[in-house]
Amino acid sequence: MCGIVGFLDKHGQTVPPLGQTLLTMLQALSCRGPDSAGVALFGEGGTLQLRLSVPPDIERQTLNEALQEEHLTLVRSYGAGVHDVRIAAEVDLTELERRIQQRLPGSEVLCLGEHISLFKQVGSPDDLEAAYRISTLHGTHGIGHTRMSTESRVDLSHSQPFWAHGVADLATVHNGHITNYHKLRRRFEQEGYRFYTDNDSEVIGVYLRDRLAAGRSLEGALRSSLEDFDGSFCYLAATKDQLGFVKDRFGFKPLMLAETEDFVALATEEIALRRALGHDFPVYEPLPGAMRLWSIHAETASLAAG
Amino acid sequence: MPFSIDCRDKCTREINRLLREAIAEGHEHIELQYPDARHNLAVALLRPVRVVVNGSVGYYCGGMMDGGHIEVHGSAGWGAAEAMLNGTLLIDGNAGSGVAASIRGGVVVVRGDAAARAGVAMKGGTLLIGGNCGYMAGFMMQKGRMVICGDAGDALADSMYEGVVFVGGRIASLGNDAVIEEPTAEDRAWLHELLVTYRVPGPTAFRKVVSGRKLWNFDRREWEIWRAAL
Repeated sequence: MCGIVGFLDKHGQTVPPLGQTLLTMLQALSCRGPDSAGVALFGEGGTLQLRLSVPPDIERQTLNEALQEEHLTLVRSYGAGVHDVRIAAEVDLTELERRIQQRLPGSEVLCLGEHISLFKQVGSPDDLEAAYRISTLHGTHGIGHTRMSTESRVDLSHSQPFWAHGVADLATVHNGHITNYHKLRRRFEQEGYRFYTDNDSEVIGVYLRDRLAAGRSLEGALRSSLEDFDGSFCYLAATKDQLGFVKDRFGFKPLMLAETEDFVALATEEIALRRALGHDFPVYEPLPGAMRLWSIHAETASLAAG
Repeated sequence: MPFSIDCRDKCTREINRLLREAIAEGHEHIELQYPDARHNLAVALLRPVRVVVNGSVGYYCGGMMDGGHIEVHGSAGWGAAEAMLNGTLLIDGNAGSGVAASIRGGVVVVRGDAAARAGVAMKGGTLLIGGNCGYMAGFMMQKGRMVICGDAGDALADSMYEGVVFVGGRIASLGNDAVIEEPTAEDRAWLHELLVTYRVPGPTAFRKVVSGRKLWNFDRREWEIWRAAL
């Protein structure tokens, strides 16, 4: 099953906070996936940061030393070994991630970028709220996921959203099963891409990264994935200023869309849209094989012009 | 005065329990307010009551119904009226995938569009779609009638055994062993009456799709047909 949600406010408004909207939608879908929950919010940036999950057996001093040697500054610490770290110098992101994991075995970079804020953990959306107070988080657009595991482990690493390692500010959430995952993974690994989990959904981020590196636009990459992925899938992708969805050609997985003058909202079931956003807008199910991408700047510009 | 149930702050089980209690008490007209796309609303209605739902419903609304009458003033999620035996389900908006799947009788009306797999495995009854429908409508249909006033998606009526599909608009493609034949005068009269009864604006002419019956019995000489179908 799994439930996915996405929201983009065309006015860039933050009342109620974006986190509250995403949380309410995820709570409505929590019966679709009790195993883990997560959100990725995007907002105004400024500094390049990464969010790091460090296993409990690593001492604070070891962490501090590792950060110092990598010229990283600790900005904020949450519970459960999750820290925000500022990246000072221009660095190769993949190389930085590799070195961090070498110095801090078992650690994981949850997200990296100037605009992204990604929280996820094992448990329900309510648990996520209790741990991180996501209802208070602001942003212009974001995505969320509630997971029912079918193929791979239930732990933090295998939870969603997935940040696309190596690309700042790109995250995905997926409902379904990419059935040619092993074939795609083998090909990407031969080309030098690294996979961090055994979750088939991770391949979406790797695929998009590969297409973007080949000079494709995000829209082009989303469109070609309709041909290149097999199986059942609805997935959302978000960058610092874009939000898009792709729905497989057979329509195996549900996804509902509401677009008004004020917002774009996507959810696996309409129940999530109604609970979070009310009754006064139409909702429809995009056809099998549909894909769309919204750009926050285009939406704001057209509103200003209109 | 209709008996009214406010769905806010109630779970589906509670709403359906209140609905059954109201029916047991003899209410014949019940309204559901603020359904907010909850799933499984008004399933298994076994009495000729009128249930009006003021808003959108989630999955399987009116499923397994036998003799009830449901009006949805909104849209419906997947599998509306699934496995219905008899009764009517009227949906003002759009219907998600698999509307009227496996129904054995009764009438389902979708005034808007229907998504993929509408009326799959119908075993009787009538499905009327005012707008367009997605791919594989009427797949393995066995009996009954489907009317699509707008356009039909790919693989229409694939591998149908029996039954009939009428299409007012374009057909993206016919499914395996689905063939077009001329509607009879009786068909036209029935279509006219259906559209008038349910106040659905339809086109003036329909095409009629039926089973070519080539898949009924295996014949080695028709291997190409089987290869395509399987």
